[in-house]
Amino acid sequence: MKQFISFIIKEARHILRDKRTMLILFGMPIVLMLIFGFAITTDVRNVRTIVVTSSQDHLTRQAIDRLAASEYFTITAAVATPQDAERLIRGQKADLAIVFSPDFASKHGGIQFIVDGADPNMAQQWTNYANAVIANADMSLVNSKMLYNPQMKSAYNFVPAIMGMLLMLVCAMMTSISIVREKEKGTMEVLLVSPVKPLMIIVAKAVPYLVLAFAILTTILLMGRYVLNVPLQGSIVWIYIVSTIYILLALSLGLLISNVATSQLMALLLSAMVLLIPIVMLSGMLFPVESMPRVLQWLSAIVPPRYYIEAMRKLMIMGVGIGEVLREVAILTGMTVVLLAVSLLKFKTRLE
Amino acid sequence: MNAIEVNHVSKSYGTVKALDDVSFTVGKGEVFGLIGPDGAGKTSMYRILCTLLKPQQGTATVDGFDTVRQMNDIRRRVGYMPGKFSLYQDLTVQENLEFFATLFGTTVEQGYDSIRAIYSQIERFKDRKAGALSGGMKQKLALCCALVYQPSVLFLDEPTTGVDPVSRKEFWDMLEALKERDITIMASTPYLDEVRRCERVAFLNQGQIKGIGTPDEILNRFADIFNPPGLDHLQSIKVEDENVIEVEHLVKAFGSFHAVDDISFTVKRGEIFGFLGANGAGKTTAMHMLTGLNQPTSGTGRVAGYDIRTQHEQVKKHIGYMSQRFSLYEDLTVAENIRLFGGIYGMNDGDIARKTEEMLDRLQFTNHKNDLVGSLPLGWKQKLAFSVSIFHEPDIVFLDEPTGGVDPATRRQFWELIYDAAGRGITVFVTTHYMDEAEYCDRISIMVDGKISAMGTPDELKERFNQPDMDHVFTYLARQATRSSD
Repeated sequence: MKQFISFIIKEARHILRDKRTMLILFGMPIVLMLIFGFAITTDVRNVRTIVVTSSQDHLTRQAIDRLAASEYFTITAAVATPQDAERLIRGQKADLAIVFSPDFASKHGGIQFIVDGADPNMAQQWTNYANAVIANADMSLVNSKMLYNPQMKSAYNFVPAIMGMLLMLVCAMMTSISIVREKEKGTMEVLLVSPVKPLMIIVAKAVPYLVLAFAILTTILLMGRYVLNVPLQGSIVWIYIVSTIYILLALSLGLLISNVATSQLMALLLSAMVLLIPIVMLSGMLFPVESMPRVLQWLSAIVPPRYYIEAMRKLMIMGVGIGEVLREVAILTGMTVVLLAVSLLKFKTRLE
Repeated sequence: MNAIEVNHVSKSYGTVKALDDVSFTVGKGEVFGLIGPDGAGKTSMYRILCTLLKPQQGTATVDGFDTVRQMNDIRRRVGYMPGKFSLYQDLTVQENLEFFATLFGTTVEQGYDSIRAIYSQIERFKDRKAGALSGGMKQKLALCCALVYQPSVLFLDEPTTGVDPVSRKEFWDMLEALKERDITIMASTPYLDEVRRCERVAFLNQGQIKGIGTPDEILNRFADIFNPPGLDHLQSIKVEDENVIEVEHLVKAFGSFHAVDDISFTVKRGEIFGFLGANGAGKTTAMHMLTGLNQPTSGTGRVAGYDIRTQHEQVKKHIGYMSQRFSLYEDLTVAENIRLFGGIYGMNDGDIARKTEEMLDRLQFTNHKNDLVGSLPLGWKQKLAFSVSIFHEPDIVFLDEPTGGVDPATRRQFWELIYDAAGRGITVFVTTHYMDEAEYCDRISIMVDGKISAMGTPDELKERFNQPDMDHVFTYLARQATRSSD
């Protein structure tokens, strides 16, 4: 036990004395949260809109007023012909033009959208929003209600995703680097030629990073709650418990990487490239899994953050009980057990 | 019972046979030397005995325990110092020691008696980070870490490479003191004076034991490798009466610490100038100033006719430099490395091609032109690195411990290359920890505590200090150092 504690102290000193790495480890979550929370947003807001109208009848007026009043659209110009509108969009003066047909009011004619389709996702959203706003003007019965996220804030979506990404990166990258560093420096040889059990070396290496991961998790949750105003609907205890399973999974991935990698650079590349890209692309963090091609959907089934992010969205945003996320938790636990077993079996007690 | 028994052990990596049917025994409490050139299989032998590798054939026992089946018993009773300093650079001296003590289930207090003699020398630096210690100090600390839990067998894989002669002597005095406590020691070293301090040595070459016996027996039987006939110092080389290096009152201060403290000397064209000093005496700092890597705090210096303070770009063009770390790209071939360095110095393609042929011919490397440098033996790499450093025909070449960790025969071949270069009028400025190499120089300076405390030809110095050889001259002067060697 004494060996174990002194091992952890040694490991903690390595971490604490490396000030720059510490700064990055804690700076990264904060910066990412701020960037995703404020700067990068897929919310529709202040879309520069042109209205094209030839008649000024009552219904058209009303529709335009509604558009102008909504926070989504800013009417920047009113022109007479669609050609003018298109020219303005091509000139980067506007994002969207709404063409009202002259007989809009009589319900014979409709409306046309001319959209800057450079970003197809956003273009799609703008038209949806515009449709909804104009349809409302019509006093139609179509009405939508957003459950869990009435203001449609993207932060709700991103906070769980950032947690999934950062915890995985920090744990896998840092443990693999710290083990490979000992191999590179030759200290691992001395550790192996000591009465200490290899299992203890590994566990002691993981403990400080487990603590670090909890600190990062707490930072993210606090920032999410008080800076980005993301509600924590569900039980904090379960959030931490599910996160612990996920952190253990990430730690065993790091251990597995350290078995393969022969240099710190390789460990870094393996954990950054091999982990980061699937996390960002396939976990449903940015692109919904449901709209992926079938093959990629299968691939995403083995990306652990997918389940963690899903579970966190349910627990944090929807505020459901643990019963609703049993499937995700079961999958994560299974993955952890398998990875941990493989990496422990593969850990070399000799050199080769 | 023998402390170590090795029976018909073989180990190969792919097609390379690292160890080929090796057998030997080491008695309890013996100081046993395992010597041989780089790549002979010494490290593999240590790793097998420390249970880090499994032998493919044969068996080995340490203290009666089998290295394969009774791994844990062995790991409980051996101390191991791998070639690299196996310390945590970002932990302090004290923290390193405490960590290794607890690792083996003991405390520094309990083990203090066994390390007192050694630890007392570094105890005043106990709050300093291990990474900030000099080579000699690190080595003492690593030894303390290996001894604090009182192992019964100690494995030392080239523990003194890159350490100055005085620190090396102190290190071996400590090992001798351990003998009284009945600790078995197995060590390897490229230094002949250290080989002589073992009771028995085994000579390992190309994975095979070529002979086991007392140091003198082995050194005499394999004299062509260990004790090649000294180089005839070619006095016929005419040293021209022109100074290519002129240094006056050069000082480099880091805060209040004067790493180089007012040195003055001159080196003539075509001269081989040996620049000696203990670890931390200020050699590397002085060399950095001369090669334009570092600005002097005060004083003046001219190298190849250019001011080192203002014209360092010109200086760099007229010198060659080979550092103690191997300076070629391992993942490029021999020819690609030469092409690269020729290009860096602005030589045109025709010259490079012509001179590459000449050089490979001289080194007898022509068949290996397209081999990756990483696949060559260390001795070859160093010869190649030297040839590359003088490829652009510089006025002066600076060599910073060029022969660290190389066997005597290869070192001798290396010095033939140096003589060859000097014969072509290239001035050679060299640092070394091998005192037999110091004898090969035309003139020597010995730095102690940042100052030059003696300068002259090897014969002059031996006469002046009334010592039999350069080793004694060096030890005599370096022992007067007051500055802690770091």
